[in-house]
Amino acid sequence: MLQIQHLGYDSWRTIYFQRATVLLSESVLIYALYMYENVSNDARLQLTFYSFVQSSPPSSKKQSHAAAVSILLSPGLLIIDHIHFQYNGFLYGILILSIVLARQESGLLASGVLFAALLCFKHIYLYLAPAYFVYLLRVYCLGPRSIFDIRILNCVRLAAGIGIVAALAFGPFVYYEQIPQLMSRLFPFSRGLCHAYWAPNVWAMYSFTDRVLILFAPYLKLPVDTEAVNSVTRGLVGDTSFAVLPNISPRMTFILTLSAQTPALIKLFLSPTWHTFISTLTLCGYASFLFGWHVHEKAILLVIIPFSLLALKDRRYLGAFRPLAVAGHVSLFPLLFTAMEFPVKVVYTILWLIVMLMVFDRVAPASEKARVFLLDRFSLLYIAVAIPLIAYCSLIHQLVFGAKYEFLPLMFISSYSALGVVGSWVGFLVVFFTS
Amino acid sequence: MPSTSSSHRPRKKRKQEPTTSSSNGTVSLDPASRKEKPAFPLVAFFWPARGTSTSQWVLLPCILMTVGLFRWCTGIWPYSGFHKPPMHGDFEAQRHWMEVTTNLPITHWYFHDLQWWGLDYPPLTAYHSWLLGRIGALINPDWFALYLSHGLDDMDLKVFMRASVMVSEYFIYIPAAVICARHMAKTHHINSWESSVALTAILMQPTTILIDHGHFQYNTVMLGFVLASLSSMLAGRRLWSCVFFVGALGFKQMALFYAPAVAAYLAGACIFPRIVVFRFFGIAIVTLASFALLYLPLLLGTLRDTYRSIPLPADVILPPLLSTFPFELSEKAWYYPYLVQLAQSIHRIFPFARGLFEDKVANIWCAVHSSGLHKLNQYSSTSLSRAALGLTLISITPPCAIIFLKPKKRLTPLAFATTAWGFFMCSYQVHEKNVLLPLLPMTLLLASEGGMKAVIRAWVGYANLLGCWTIFPLLARDELRMPYFVFTLLWSYLMGLPPCSLSAYSSTAEGSGLHWTTKIVHLATYAAVLAWHCVEFFVPPPSNKPDLWVVANVCIGAAGFGMCYLWCLWTFLDESGLLIDLGLVESPKAEPGKKKQ
Repeated sequence: MLQIQHLGYDSWRTIYFQRATVLLSESVLIYALYMYENVSNDARLQLTFYSFVQSSPPSSKKQSHAAAVSILLSPGLLIIDHIHFQYNGFLYGILILSIVLARQESGLLASGVLFAALLCFKHIYLYLAPAYFVYLLRVYCLGPRSIFDIRILNCVRLAAGIGIVAALAFGPFVYYEQIPQLMSRLFPFSRGLCHAYWAPNVWAMYSFTDRVLILFAPYLKLPVDTEAVNSVTRGLVGDTSFAVLPNISPRMTFILTLSAQTPALIKLFLSPTWHTFISTLTLCGYASFLFGWHVHEKAILLVIIPFSLLALKDRRYLGAFRPLAVAGHVSLFPLLFTAMEFPVKVVYTILWLIVMLMVFDRVAPASEKARVFLLDRFSLLYIAVAIPLIAYCSLIHQLVFGAKYEFLPLMFISSYSALGVVGSWVGFLVVFFTS
Repeated sequence: MPSTSSSHRPRKKRKQEPTTSSSNGTVSLDPASRKEKPAFPLVAFFWPARGTSTSQWVLLPCILMTVGLFRWCTGIWPYSGFHKPPMHGDFEAQRHWMEVTTNLPITHWYFHDLQWWGLDYPPLTAYHSWLLGRIGALINPDWFALYLSHGLDDMDLKVFMRASVMVSEYFIYIPAAVICARHMAKTHHINSWESSVALTAILMQPTTILIDHGHFQYNTVMLGFVLASLSSMLAGRRLWSCVFFVGALGFKQMALFYAPAVAAYLAGACIFPRIVVFRFFGIAIVTLASFALLYLPLLLGTLRDTYRSIPLPADVILPPLLSTFPFELSEKAWYYPYLVQLAQSIHRIFPFARGLFEDKVANIWCAVHSSGLHKLNQYSSTSLSRAALGLTLISITPPCAIIFLKPKKRLTPLAFATTAWGFFMCSYQVHEKNVLLPLLPMTLLLASEGGMKAVIRAWVGYANLLGCWTIFPLLARDELRMPYFVFTLLWSYLMGLPPCSLSAYSSTAEGSGLHWTTKIVHLATYAAVLAWHCVEFFVPPPSNKPDLWVVANVCIGAAGFGMCYLWCLWTFLDESGLLIDLGLVESPKAEPGKKKQ
């Protein structure tokens, strides 16, 4: 089973074994969520010490319970882990554990080390690292009153902890001189801007605009790069070039990502509370997902899961969360494409959305401040559009066009989802910076 | 920007209905804190919807989606006869009928190549197959190409077939179950929340899911018609109940298990409390008309084929039934082709030539024979079928007599269950899958008054888990072990029953009227079942007795089912009030839950 030549080895026993490992490793997630619930119950007293959380909910137990259940039953994890096959439940378990530990002063070191370990499991979490860096720097390494009051001992501890983890993870590879190969595997800048199925981010909208502009270019007298016309539609992993709009380099995406993260990081540095920390984590996730290079649609969990912990804070957060919940999960649909899996993913996601959004709606407290943006009606409309869209992409398109224009449903789904993700990002930014 | 005060208010006003404390056994009182808590896990899942204004319009779709997901996920597993030449299994039978009905003239349906899964179900199944075959051929004609498609196991075909089971079920069984649960709730004065809990329990019956969506059959269509018939009875629409019951009979002859109870109830309803002649004639006419309607397409098709003079297949053997007519039949007579069709369909539907039991089924005959208590192959098949008939009559007479004398709506599920158990235990040519028939009305008891209390929950759960266990050998042959364990453990967890929980049997369970003998019998059976699974998994059977474990399964199963029959009969007798009428028992609650041994 483990012999490396046996690619595509799929006996029943192997399947049983591998699926079972996913289930078992998910117990980390369950433990972390349980911790989250407990901590958020016990920490209510401590919470009042923070200046930020004045609107400490009257019964935070119910809300954290709802959030925990929603993460555990998340269709994202079901689709990616248990059907598509990955170990995200385990990794997000570590992430949540680390977030929960960061809530208490005593857990900060452990939180940082755990996050370093998480990075060594999967480097996608590098996207969240800025938030961790700023938070730990401000709360753990610098004094509570003044930023010039550097706590040297804490710095050394943290550095040592992270250093040990990194040494354990990378030591063997350094020893065998495999680092360049490892780096090129980890950071595939040679791959294209968009993944084969476009992840629903800014670049998906960009590509969509490009495609539309190809049609109108002759009328608008725009120059068209004829070589690029067919490149996106091929749907293969490769270099993406645009026909009308300017091409994007990795450096540009990097700068965009970082500049999108910076305002939130500054706010976190100025008011380093636990809730701001989660908000910043979420915003870092958003920024990297929206502007990152070669983002995979699975990375949406990087936004959804930290946001789930926050969504029940009050109704304004929930308002921003709703389109994300729909868009994020719909964007995962193209991962599963067989007819047998189709009802599972659709029905499960709809069931989850109905139950969870209803429960969230019930337990989320009214906000202290006025709801400023009017996204609510739009988000209802947006959610309603999902149904005909899914029907078209999975059924009607095939009936009408057969195997032709295969990229069309994918493009629709990713553009639709991109709209939702960007919308919820804007909504969340408003909530974050006005509260 | 909206004014500050208005933006804080929750948009919807929530009505806080007073929490209706129920007597149905879903809620138990925590003795320490005097707080209400769910009595078993399934109720806990519905807890947030309790007492609030969670609309049925939300709750019901959620239930249906959940049970649908479980059903579809079962369908991902293999079906019976997957990659098992030469004959394959029930999947191939159903697919073959679609092939036959869509490709051949209607007069050939009951005659075509009887060795390869010849059609042996009543006409409604044939029409159903025709419809599905037509739809399937639109998608891919190769699936049902005559002769060429034998033993096909295309993955897309599997999806289509699984979807056809699903759709048939959601068109017939599920609406019938929903409506039936509503009528049960109305008859027994149960609130809609508890009725939803019961509905979920009924729809999550492990045996039904595993047989229909795992093994592959369309039992739920027939069971759906039975449920529709039952709910028509509960609603007082007797004529509709006749129509639906004929539908059930017309889909699978297995529905005959219920026929005596239906007949006795309808007859009783015409006689007690006073004789209503019109009602009797109405029932008779509607029943006959439904049967006529059932056979009409077949006969019209015969008319068409006779007109076009399409001959029967060359290798045809005329049904023996024709020779039993007292007068000579002329092959030239205009009615002859119709008689041939009718006789052949009846001949195919009732296979008198087959044995007393098929495979290994947990009823009296198989248990007596295969346990070595008394070998039955020393008797002739005629005397065995007479014995079976006699014993069946003995077992179904008491329930039929009770429902005849006391034709009350609320008693019908019990009458159905008892009669079906009688048939299952004693009758001729029973298949292990037939255990679905007694289980359905028995599980319906969950939706009756006090249905979630320990007594009924324990018995219904016992019957269901035991029933599922007796089909384990069948499921194991189909590689369905994993879904079997998932579904039985899930159901026992949801209902708070062994092996997941002993709460129904603990002495503190409120209103637990379980007699100590019942507790011992149940727990001993559960222990035996667990032990059996361990033995079956780890120890290969001795080489001279390869079926030893299956025989043990059959014997324990038969004993347990016999117990279920007796319990149903006793509860039925108790509920009917006949004992009070006869002066055998003074007060209604003299012997709560006592078992007749």
